[in-house]
Amino acid sequence: MSARRPRRPVRKKQRSQAATWYRQPELLDALVLGTWSLALFRYWFTGQLFLLLHPNYMWLPNGSAFVLLAMAGFKLMQFRRRANRISASNHSTLLPPRFSSLVLLAIAVLSLMYTPQAFASDKAIQRGISDSLTLTRSQPQRFVRQTASEERTVIDWIRTLNVYPEPDAYTGQAVKLSGFVIHPEDWPEEYLLISRFVLTCCAADAYPVGLPVQLAVSRQAYAPDTWLEIEGKMTTTTINDQRQLTIEPTKLETIPEPRNPYEY
Amino acid sequence: MEKLSNGLTLFFSLLVEAIPFLLIGVAFSSLLLFFVNERSLIKILPKHPLMGAIAGSLMGIFFPVCECGNVPVARRLIVQGAPSSVAVGFLLAAPTINPVVFWATWVAFRGQPEIVFLRVLFTLIIAVTIAWVFSRQRDMRPLLQAAVTRQMPKPQTASVNPLLRSGTFLLQTDGATLQIDDPATQEIIASGPSKPFAVKLQLALDNMVQELRELGAVLIMGSAIAAFVQVAVPREWIIALGQNFVTSILAMMLLAAVVSICSTVDSFFALSFSSTFTSGALLAFLVFGPMIDLKNIGLLLTLFKPRVIFYIFALAAQMCFILTLFTNFYVS
Repeated sequence: MSARRPRRPVRKKQRSQAATWYRQPELLDALVLGTWSLALFRYWFTGQLFLLLHPNYMWLPNGSAFVLLAMAGFKLMQFRRRANRISASNHSTLLPPRFSSLVLLAIAVLSLMYTPQAFASDKAIQRGISDSLTLTRSQPQRFVRQTASEERTVIDWIRTLNVYPEPDAYTGQAVKLSGFVIHPEDWPEEYLLISRFVLTCCAADAYPVGLPVQLAVSRQAYAPDTWLEIEGKMTTTTINDQRQLTIEPTKLETIPEPRNPYEY
Repeated sequence: MEKLSNGLTLFFSLLVEAIPFLLIGVAFSSLLLFFVNERSLIKILPKHPLMGAIAGSLMGIFFPVCECGNVPVARRLIVQGAPSSVAVGFLLAAPTINPVVFWATWVAFRGQPEIVFLRVLFTLIIAVTIAWVFSRQRDMRPLLQAAVTRQMPKPQTASVNPLLRSGTFLLQTDGATLQIDDPATQEIIASGPSKPFAVKLQLALDNMVQELRELGAVLIMGSAIAAFVQVAVPREWIIALGQNFVTSILAMMLLAAVVSICSTVDSFFALSFSSTFTSGALLAFLVFGPMIDLKNIGLLLTLFKPRVIFYIFALAAQMCFILTLFTNFYVS
């Protein structure tokens, strides 16, 4: 049952050369925990956590960073006072412990090196943007949209449309919103989709929503994934035999990608 | 390149969300291991088969362990002489019916609360039924691995005068005797209340690191598979599979068994499929995964004989399929 082999008695003199760092279970544990803690702190302080998680739950990894740091400290202390080590009761493991540690360490190092990217139009198309006009998974949680129509974000518009889908009802309303550009393949040249990813929990469940924009020129002027701020009026157009609420822009401005590209 | 980048972002987002819950899970399971006495718990458990099954299924509320932590706890329960219905009910339900998992599922499926509640309900139905079936077996011994049977108290203990047995005994406060060289007693002695708080805390921390190490690695593999499937498998396949009422359930049950992701964090995994799969399929993943999966079978084999695991597997799979199919047709 017990996977632990009896540890060879390590003499103090030999320890420094004979046992490499990854053969020291406490040291390896401390390293793994410390690196993960560092990785979580890095996400926190660089703001990259915004790309991964809904802000409501950010305290979870942030808190974990402290807990992991404390655990790393505990393991380090244990390493310093090897004599005091008490081995925990037997534990059945699926993977050999050292392999697990190395996997954890490798992924922590990878997460330190890799900067998460906000999802872009290719992901949106893969996730099926076309039906998203009638699909928002999250039920509207508030009906506060008695405010001016130009304060609505993309997701606010979609939620409003879900409640009352007739596009003509919104004709002439002022719009001001920002999002990134998608070129749906089967749409005419002068239409593009201004969209945002919506997060319920974490990037794993990000799903795209978008509103069509009717351009005076070809959409090639605005490359996919460009971030735009659009001001204009709502109108109804028919795209591919489907009546859709469409933005008729009066002003189109390229903006840098926001620090927090998702909506909630 | 774009795909790789998307995949990695997805992968890390799953990990970042899941690691805190994994930490909470291993912290609870480690604290319970060293601070809760199962023996006193067993004394207050009901003996009636159905009541025992229900009690066992609900015990997870006090033992918030995921499916990796429940096998050791269930084994300790059996060794301490808990009725079979309690032990089996606990084994199947505890990974789902517990506050940590409920909260994690709630966080993930805030938008679809029916999934959260149906997950609990279906798990209870399946766990209580199977536990009830197993309660027909009064004596668990033939079903268990020899290593476990040896640790169990012998049934004839009561009839044979303790004085006639050889070995070293301790007289307990309730008049019972405890054989010191019995492995179960060794376990109690090793983790019993005699140790000072500081040592227990250190043991709990040690156990926490140990569990985190193993489950963390499994979590990483699960997240990697989820991210890979999301990015690399053509969307048409997933939709074709995921929108069919029957195949979507079967696919998710298979995925649950293969991925072996911890119940504390599996809701985040399932979440990544929520836009393409039917609710029934997501439920099948969330209900079936914590009961039986590849990783769990390894752990279960330390407790049960293979054919018992097969019975549990077959019963759980069928009930889970029927219940989630019902969901697909009538609920969502």
